[in-house]
Amino acid sequence: MQKIFRPFGLFTPKVTGQIIFHDEEYEKLGLQLKDNISSIFGRSLAIRELDSGSDNSTEIEMVNLTTPYYDVERFGITFVASPRHADILAVTGAVTHNMEIAVRKTYAAMPKPKFVIAVGDDACNGGIFAGGTYAVNGGVEKVIPVDLKIPGNPPTPYDILQALHGFMAVLAKGKK
Amino acid sequence: MKPIVDLNYYFEETGAAAKSKTGPEIYISVPEEVFNSSLAHIAGKDVVLIGLFCLQNFNGHTGFTLLYVLEKRSYSRIVIIERHLHEPYAASIAAFFPSASWFEREITDGFGVTFPDAFDKRHLFLHEVYPEGFHPLCKDFKNRTLKTRETIHPDSEYAFKKMTGEGVYQIPVGPVHAGIIEPGHFRFSVIGETIFNLEIRMFYKHRGLEKLAEGKTPEQAICIAETISGDESVANAVAFAMAVENIRRAEIPKRAWQIRTILLEMERIYSHLGDMGGMIVDVAFPKGASHFFILREEIFRLNQTLTGSRFMKGIVWSGGLTIDIPPHAITELAHYLEDFTPRLKSALDIVSATSSVIDRLETTGVIKKDLINLLNLTGPAARASGEPIDNRLDHAYGIYPILELQKRIAEKGDVLSRFNIKAQEINDSVSIIRALISQLADGPVNVKMDNGDGWALTLVEAARGQNLHWLYLRNGVIERYKVRTASFCNWQAIEHAVLGNIVPDFPLINKSLNLSYAGTDL
Repeated sequence: MQKIFRPFGLFTPKVTGQIIFHDEEYEKLGLQLKDNISSIFGRSLAIRELDSGSDNSTEIEMVNLTTPYYDVERFGITFVASPRHADILAVTGAVTHNMEIAVRKTYAAMPKPKFVIAVGDDACNGGIFAGGTYAVNGGVEKVIPVDLKIPGNPPTPYDILQALHGFMAVLAKGKK
Repeated sequence: MKPIVDLNYYFEETGAAAKSKTGPEIYISVPEEVFNSSLAHIAGKDVVLIGLFCLQNFNGHTGFTLLYVLEKRSYSRIVIIERHLHEPYAASIAAFFPSASWFEREITDGFGVTFPDAFDKRHLFLHEVYPEGFHPLCKDFKNRTLKTRETIHPDSEYAFKKMTGEGVYQIPVGPVHAGIIEPGHFRFSVIGETIFNLEIRMFYKHRGLEKLAEGKTPEQAICIAETISGDESVANAVAFAMAVENIRRAEIPKRAWQIRTILLEMERIYSHLGDMGGMIVDVAFPKGASHFFILREEIFRLNQTLTGSRFMKGIVWSGGLTIDIPPHAITELAHYLEDFTPRLKSALDIVSATSSVIDRLETTGVIKKDLINLLNLTGPAARASGEPIDNRLDHAYGIYPILELQKRIAEKGDVLSRFNIKAQEINDSVSIIRALISQLADGPVNVKMDNGDGWALTLVEAARGQNLHWLYLRNGVIERYKVRTASFCNWQAIEHAVLGNIVPDFPLINKSLNLSYAGTDL
């Protein structure tokens, strides 16, 4: 092995101990999802997350998908910064009136083909706002078309991934 | 001219004019002709305006009543001034209690009560899409769906402050942000890379929670308290439950309070871990951040074992808890926490050994101590700027009075101070939980309460700071429910903290304050 020159030990890489966590079931699910994403979306599924009035726990679970325990990037899922780059718009929250215009504009900015998933009870059917209040219409589908609903208060990262897996399977069938 | 009313007197234990039967607060009234002068007299000293909200047809008065909630540093008593209005307008106090500005704008939107001499009279939570003259919190408006505007004419757009001068340009950001974040609008005025002014616009997520709670029983409304801010669900549910218990004079079993406290501290731990990880991510050091996120995920999983919900929703109940936590979960938690502190330390060591990270955190986003009382800043943000305030000690509730707890204080008020305070508080929370597990009482976890009406104020220390809840029950249902989270006030600090910093440091400063949009917008 080639010896690397490191004056005064300055360039010694900082290495931390390996962290052991391995969840068989989760890995299996993720790899199946990866296969589907490869065949349908050419290896990468780009998701744009949009909060339209959730209680912020759903966002936290979406962020958790990118943390070491889940790390969905290795399965080909990326959360992108712009709707222009997105295949899927993941909307959380029951769409407040104050966010309605922003939601419509974000949806309009996405290139086709585009899909919308509603994440969390509020986004699916209004949750505790079902029926509508002065501030909330009740559910994402009242504002833009929805292709998939992931219920839960909030759904866990595992739930979200499982739902995406199911969705990919449906899309794969349609593609054949 | 009448002499002014000395409000300082009411904070003393002997100054109990109309002693409250339910909580730490007393209600007084001040004659209208000396109202503003009396308040101006105590402003700018130790007295802080922690809440200001409106009621309709309250306490035998037909029309609007404003409640001014005042706290004096190092006094446990809260003084609430009832101001009965005969006309739908009042004199503004924002000139000497700046924290009143957002409160007054909120009242104008909610009830149509105006403050003609206020320096800022723009809408707050009702954006341009809402019709003019619409005031959702008025009693004659029954909650229903509303037809709102689909397009906004440029003339009716919200007026941001105009910043002009050589080389000043604006960067509008939001409401839809680049990351997985909640919506809000930031209007930066920038010279070169340096932030010259920042104006924030919130309330994109206004869900009408206060109105939604009206007419519901406390049991139906506790899920509304939990949804105020998903990551403060325990704190808000406890504050709400405590208000009901205060009104109905219920004594909660010791075991219920011990478990509630464990959950409150678990919430603080995962919240702080998320902020710390987020700060490290925002200076582009993911390797250092991953350790915090790993610990955080483990806490989420323990929450699930304890309560069945990763955010501990559905367990707190007015009268105690809905269900006891399973014994194996307690054992698992005790076992897990044994080596938590050393693991956190090794994560912190990686950060403190990386000078490029410390360089970004140090002297960034300073919050000056002078602002704390004026804007009613609370929580770790205030403690990192040298203000020794913590509701768990100042207005101790539940079993906090018998716990060993100390206030963590730093002086510099920069991002690094907030980072360090949060690290210390996580360790304190771990000690509290471990102590509670070792002395967990037996017995029931809830108590049956009699029906009863009335009103009560409760204050809790959520991870972000002081959350204020005021609940009014009438005929067994909620007549008015007012919530003011720590974020509502702390958001206003960010406009000051970013001045003179560069734009790329904004996400870092924002993360270090960890403000909840949902908790502000309600």
